[in-house]
Amino acid sequence: MKLNRWLFGTIIGTQFACASFAADDVDVQALKKQIQELDQKVRILEREREIDQDSAATVAKAAPKISLGASGFNFSSGDSNFVAQLHGLVQFDSRTFFEDGGLKGNDGFLIRRARPIFQGTVFHDFDYQFTPDFGGSTVQIQDAYLNYRYSPWFQVQAGKFKSPIGLEALQSDPATLFNERSLATDLVPNRDLGIALKGDLFNGVASYALGVFDGAPDYAGSTANLSSQDSKAVVARVFFQPWKNSDVNALRGLGFGLGGSYEGDHPATNSATGLTSGYTTDGQQKFFSYKTDVFADGPHWRLSPQAYYYYGPFGLLAEYVVSDQQVRKSTTGQAADLQNKAWEISGSWLLTGEDASYTGVTPLHPFNPRNNQWGAWQLVARYGELNVDDNAFVGSVFADPKKWASGAQAWTVGLNWYLNKNFRANLSFARTVFSGYTGGTPSPGTVITAAQPENVLFSRLQLAF
Amino acid sequence: MKTLLKILLVASVAISAGAKEVKLLNVSYDPTRELYAEYNAAFTKYWKAKTGDDVVISQSHGGSGKQAQSVINGLEADVVTLALAYDIDAIAAQARSLPADWQKRLPNNSTPYTSTIVFLVRKGNPKQIKDWDDIVKKGVSVVVPNPKTSGGARWAYLAAYAYALEKNNHDDAAARDFIKQLYKNVPVLDSGARGSTVTFAQRQIGDVLLAWENEAHLALKEFGEDKFDIVTPSISVLAEPPVSIVDKTVKRHGTTEVAKAYLDYLYSDEGQDIAGKNFYRPRSEKAAAKYAGQFASLKLVTIDGEFGGWTKAQKTHFADGGVFDQIFQP
Repeated sequence: MKLNRWLFGTIIGTQFACASFAADDVDVQALKKQIQELDQKVRILEREREIDQDSAATVAKAAPKISLGASGFNFSSGDSNFVAQLHGLVQFDSRTFFEDGGLKGNDGFLIRRARPIFQGTVFHDFDYQFTPDFGGSTVQIQDAYLNYRYSPWFQVQAGKFKSPIGLEALQSDPATLFNERSLATDLVPNRDLGIALKGDLFNGVASYALGVFDGAPDYAGSTANLSSQDSKAVVARVFFQPWKNSDVNALRGLGFGLGGSYEGDHPATNSATGLTSGYTTDGQQKFFSYKTDVFADGPHWRLSPQAYYYYGPFGLLAEYVVSDQQVRKSTTGQAADLQNKAWEISGSWLLTGEDASYTGVTPLHPFNPRNNQWGAWQLVARYGELNVDDNAFVGSVFADPKKWASGAQAWTVGLNWYLNKNFRANLSFARTVFSGYTGGTPSPGTVITAAQPENVLFSRLQLAF
Repeated sequence: MKTLLKILLVASVAISAGAKEVKLLNVSYDPTRELYAEYNAAFTKYWKAKTGDDVVISQSHGGSGKQAQSVINGLEADVVTLALAYDIDAIAAQARSLPADWQKRLPNNSTPYTSTIVFLVRKGNPKQIKDWDDIVKKGVSVVVPNPKTSGGARWAYLAAYAYALEKNNHDDAAARDFIKQLYKNVPVLDSGARGSTVTFAQRQIGDVLLAWENEAHLALKEFGEDKFDIVTPSISVLAEPPVSIVDKTVKRHGTTEVAKAYLDYLYSDEGQDIAGKNFYRPRSEKAAAKYAGQFASLKLVTIDGEFGGWTKAQKTHFADGGVFDQIFQP
């Protein structure tokens, strides 16, 4: 009986245990499967998250971008095919004249330039710029042009922009070393209306511009927005920087070129003589002008060899300009071919070790007295001359030597302080002496610039972004 | 004046003489990274020896459809080497940056190498996947990219569709059901083939990856043959990834000559050998014979023969509102 009960108990117990183990195994397998499925689900969720993040990054890349910095405001589409930029330039100057023979009304403060600059790109290849100027006594449009960029070496620009001749004239206004450009720039045109092919070749080693323009007269402070004559000027310029991309540091900043223009016929019209309104000094005083009955009559050509050299903190810029113009006196019919010439050389040295360049200076240590940082300091000096053709004064036919000078020689020294990339302060002194004036001492109340040397102390505060 | 101009001309010629650096951008599809890394090095050497010029080749990779859209939107590709002709057709039609008959400019319809779609499964093939029927079974997880953005995914979709058509006596409705079933088994849609390889091989998701043949071999090479097996289905598609210069861009960049040479060289002995070495099926008999051992033989259908060409296939299956949109519910 005991044995039977023991056997019965053993059999029942064994079967129960087997059933129990079998059930456990099934559970383990089911759990394993469940864990595997859950593992896959987690992995899938994680991967989906990764993919979503990638997609978000891609979308972010395509989103429009807005930036604000030392280079102004910049708005661009995600693919950069559409760009709108806002820049600005404000120059607040003072001019103080010394030993000016009693001239009145010259000293003072002035807003030399106040320009909002709107520029941008549409459809990747089409650039535009519009620059009004609220400085001085009138509001005028400085630049208004459209530019199509097929490639860096082939661009077509049309509208109102700087005529591509003079090296100093083409330098951007905030980057010039002095308050006013030199006497050499008196003989090249300022902005003009026209259309030009231009481009950079071999990664900027060479650049060219070739255009047809209305034919602006020699440098004029204000520029027209319409043409008053039928003839057109062909303007061309080539510029080379052979070592720009080389390892030869000492030559990398060397550039040289030639600019020029030719206008076959430049007749007077009812509204303009076709001649310069006058040549001016650093102090923006007129020291030469043709007589009012003299007008352009025949070809006008200019030629300007030019070069710059920048090496470390040192900079040098030089150019020579010849402006040859046929003129005629309307009242007598007398005609002449007059050749006016000018040249300048300017040098600069950055005392604080920054690299000098044609496009401006970026201080190594922007002004911050709390951190003992004082910006960049630059010494600058320039000499320039302008000589009007002597034939202009023979017999006082085309110009009056008793009112105007036939030549001017000017030197300027100065100190520029770049507080940061955007803010700059200048102080400079310019002296201009004149030759060829035969008018003697002017009577009281008469203003004749050429009667005595011009001595001017300039200062400037400039904001450019 | 004339003398001066002559001096300037001579100076400019002198400056331009000598070795120059030329830049090329090759916009390609996802799995060609390794192929073009090796090919670019070979071509750079060849071009330097031939012309003395240095050519710097940049690569851009992504889903073929996405890459084509980028070029249409302004990405300045000198050459495109995409997964399928339709994507280059789209560039020709929408950006008008190359002629409509671009495919006639190079041999073999501008396709210097071919490929196909195979299965990459986990080592030992635990789900016993042998043919297309096996991947539509319940419980089989399939990894494949999105055919809206990936060229490889479109080839894979059409390979499966071709199998279903053949199995069902060209009953289109049955084929659609088959494809619907297949995409029910797809847990994640990556935008490109390389993304799907990451999903399958690195993130260990899924039982089978529908992969470019070259991508499957590369996965074996990269992750180890002890991790995966390649399964060749009974039927697949002859994938012909074409190449072309982008005429408008090369004219603008002045790179026409080097871009043409870059594509021509794909057909050279060295170019074909590099294709074979990277598990693309070479066109040249010599290279094809050399690498024949690494490619399984299977029935390959063509897009023209089975689907009436890419334009029709794209419109029917992948355009908005097409078959894929109808059968796939994310």
